[in-house]
Amino acid sequence: MLIYGLFAIYYVMTVNTIYFSIMAFSFRNILTIFRRSAYSKYNTLSGSELVPSVSLLVPAFNEELTVIENVKCLLTLNYPTYEVIVINDGSSDNTLGVLREEFGLEPLPNPEIRNSIDCQPINAVYYNPQYPHLYVIDKPNGGKADSLNAGINLSHYPLISSIDADSLLEKDALIRMARMYMENPEETVAIGGDVRIANGCLIENGAVKEVSLPRKMWPMFQAVEYLKAFLGGRIGWSSINGLIIVSGAFGLFRKDYVIAVGGYRGGYPGEDMNIIIKLHRYMLENKLKYRVAFCPEAVCWTQAPDTYRILSNQRKRWGRGNLKNMIENYDMAFNPKYKVMGLLTMPYNIIFEALNPYFKITGLLALLGYTLMDMTHWRILVVFGLINILSGYLLSVGALILEELAFKRFTKVSDLARLLLFSALKFVGYAQLGGLWRIQGHIQFLRNNNSWGTMTRTSWKEESKAAKTA
Amino acid sequence: MYTHLTTAIYFIYVCLGLIGSGIVLLFAMKFNHLHKMKKSRQYLQKHHDYFKFIQSHMNGNSELPLPPGKLKELEGRVIQQKFIEWIDQFKGEFREKLIKLCHDAGFVRKDIKLLDSLFYGRRIAAAYRLGGMRAAEAVPRLLQMLKSERYTPLTIVVARAVAKSADNEEQLKEMLQHLLRHGKPIHHMAADIVMETRLDASRLLLKLLDDENQDLVKVALVAMWGQAIPEVVPSLDRLVGAEQTDVRAEAVKLYLSSNPVLKDDTIKNLMADKDWEVRATVAKSLGSLHAAGSIPLLRSALKDPNWWVRNNSAESLAKLGETGFEVLCQIAMNGTGVERETAMYHIERAMLQDQEHHKIDQMVAYNKKKLLYERYFGTTERRPVRQIAAVGGDYTA
Repeated sequence: MLIYGLFAIYYVMTVNTIYFSIMAFSFRNILTIFRRSAYSKYNTLSGSELVPSVSLLVPAFNEELTVIENVKCLLTLNYPTYEVIVINDGSSDNTLGVLREEFGLEPLPNPEIRNSIDCQPINAVYYNPQYPHLYVIDKPNGGKADSLNAGINLSHYPLISSIDADSLLEKDALIRMARMYMENPEETVAIGGDVRIANGCLIENGAVKEVSLPRKMWPMFQAVEYLKAFLGGRIGWSSINGLIIVSGAFGLFRKDYVIAVGGYRGGYPGEDMNIIIKLHRYMLENKLKYRVAFCPEAVCWTQAPDTYRILSNQRKRWGRGNLKNMIENYDMAFNPKYKVMGLLTMPYNIIFEALNPYFKITGLLALLGYTLMDMTHWRILVVFGLINILSGYLLSVGALILEELAFKRFTKVSDLARLLLFSALKFVGYAQLGGLWRIQGHIQFLRNNNSWGTMTRTSWKEESKAAKTA
Repeated sequence: MYTHLTTAIYFIYVCLGLIGSGIVLLFAMKFNHLHKMKKSRQYLQKHHDYFKFIQSHMNGNSELPLPPGKLKELEGRVIQQKFIEWIDQFKGEFREKLIKLCHDAGFVRKDIKLLDSLFYGRRIAAAYRLGGMRAAEAVPRLLQMLKSERYTPLTIVVARAVAKSADNEEQLKEMLQHLLRHGKPIHHMAADIVMETRLDASRLLLKLLDDENQDLVKVALVAMWGQAIPEVVPSLDRLVGAEQTDVRAEAVKLYLSSNPVLKDDTIKNLMADKDWEVRATVAKSLGSLHAAGSIPLLRSALKDPNWWVRNNSAESLAKLGETGFEVLCQIAMNGTGVERETAMYHIERAMLQDQEHHKIDQMVAYNKKKLLYERYFGTTERRPVRQIAAVGGDYTA
């Protein structure tokens, strides 16, 4: 029992040491990111024909409250040539109706859908020549991956960008990503953007006007979590070309490679992680030089779940998707053929991400049992708890330093204090719930329960009203 | 047992120490940033009248006055920033006056000195500002910086500073050579950078087209997009037959954008090129060249394995009067697979687009197409019905 408890202590120390190393890479790169962002002007680039054209793919399922605002936001980006393709994935609400009404869309008699990737047959493509860069695909419900594949089949440009219909892009977000792509176009197969929590921000005309932290507890925990994951983790992972995920909320991809790997995998959540793993695998197996990059200065604002039920559903879904991806690609782990992906990213994700809650919970139980047998050993239990909390908190503090060094989005001292407070409070309940949701997700996976769960949206106008009155 | 516990306790102490220092650092950074922001606002307010004066005297004959009083470091930066913003916005005489003002105020001298700083961050910031101030005297030092650096995103910052400040074509060419020596195919980015120059870039681009370095040729080709001038044609004639696929494709694009007269043999050869980009570009241009003689070529190109070639060919056929349109209708009725799909889409598109005609000749052309359409497809029951092609048939888009 004691030996297993000690093993759990070392497990936690190891996982955090790896995370510290990844964060060290983030620190090594953060000043370059800051300078790249501060010393670049996009006014010439955003009007230049030299910038590659992009198809924005926006899957929408029951998004009638937010979709109009989001499409308007996307139609006014600072970018020279792009098209917006909204894919209505068999919504049961009036998503298609509000889009048709707002933009005067009519069905195209013979839409040209290339069948580059397998996807469900579509019902219709809607278009209005007055909005020449907007297309709406209507199709029966088939999931997010299937919607993205349908969007790829209609898209006309060599780069595609997947964007969630509940997210708002900053006006320069796409051109910042394109600049990164143009710095190394041959090797760049995917670029991820930074996803931030919009709850609490003041939103006007489809853009975040005033950045503020969420007022509710659940989005606040997620704000802290996202900062740690995106700034502390993804900058570091991308610098060693070991990034395993580009968020489904906002990412840019080379279309030819996405088609080459067969497009998005449907049937399970976690399609955003799956496409990146497939791209790594394809490039490495074909011995092609490549990079999966992360562009933290390209920001996408998203509505975070603000109730326990919705959040738990989302996390269980993530847990399911993650486990599915790990099982599907277990052969990559510890395989030197897959370089950083095989030797670091995949083993890390299997041992220290997917299995994390099991080791932590069983370790805690072992030490608890050992202490109960002889109460004089309470110190070991305290040490285990402290290591967990302090190393996790240190990572959160590190992420906040990264934010302060490069972005300084939160201007108030009180915001900083709140972020520090919630980073600490996270260990009293929220972190444990995270582990529990992941395990529940795994159970759902084993039981073959593949429901999406509930996801309700708030209109951006409501969010904005709440932010103004705060 | 105790050894394990001691290791763990040391780990805890290290974490505690780092957390404490991190929090202190965070608040120090936050307060420092807020203080700087506040001071910057104050300085902008303090020099409000000076800025107004400069704006209202920019088109006068007299020299612009220096900022009043002895400037503190941040104060100088705030004023310099304002000047750089204006330099970006204005052109001609106004810009020249502001550039001179930056020199006279000592901003250029200070930043050139910073290019030798031990800190990389200061060197890059200085390079960026020098580019903003179009500081020609800083160019040799900036080029040296570009030469000694490995390729990072910040190389672009220095290259842009050189492009903005260069006062002769040789400097621009040297910048391009340093930028492209890393072997990255960043010709579009390099072209964008070169276009930042205040010199007349067309002469340099013309020279680059004849350069031995193929990378420089590519930059010139993409930088000249949509602005082919007669002087370019001899060089393009040669480059259209270049060995390197991407050089050939770019040359063809540029060549065809000048609406040249093409011989039938040339069209035939280009439409049979092994590079799809060349075929697609030629197919697209044939519509606007009104080359009705190329209809058979475009018709066969509807079977091309590449989507862009098929699409551009159909688009051109739709533009080539009734004969071209009728070919599309025939394929939509009798063709199969991808050629039929492409034809159908472009027929519908042409019918939709042409409905909004304002001139009498456009109306006549539309009505002729409409008659053809009805002859082939009649009323709704005979309209072409889309068929989904076999999955996985097209990987070329």
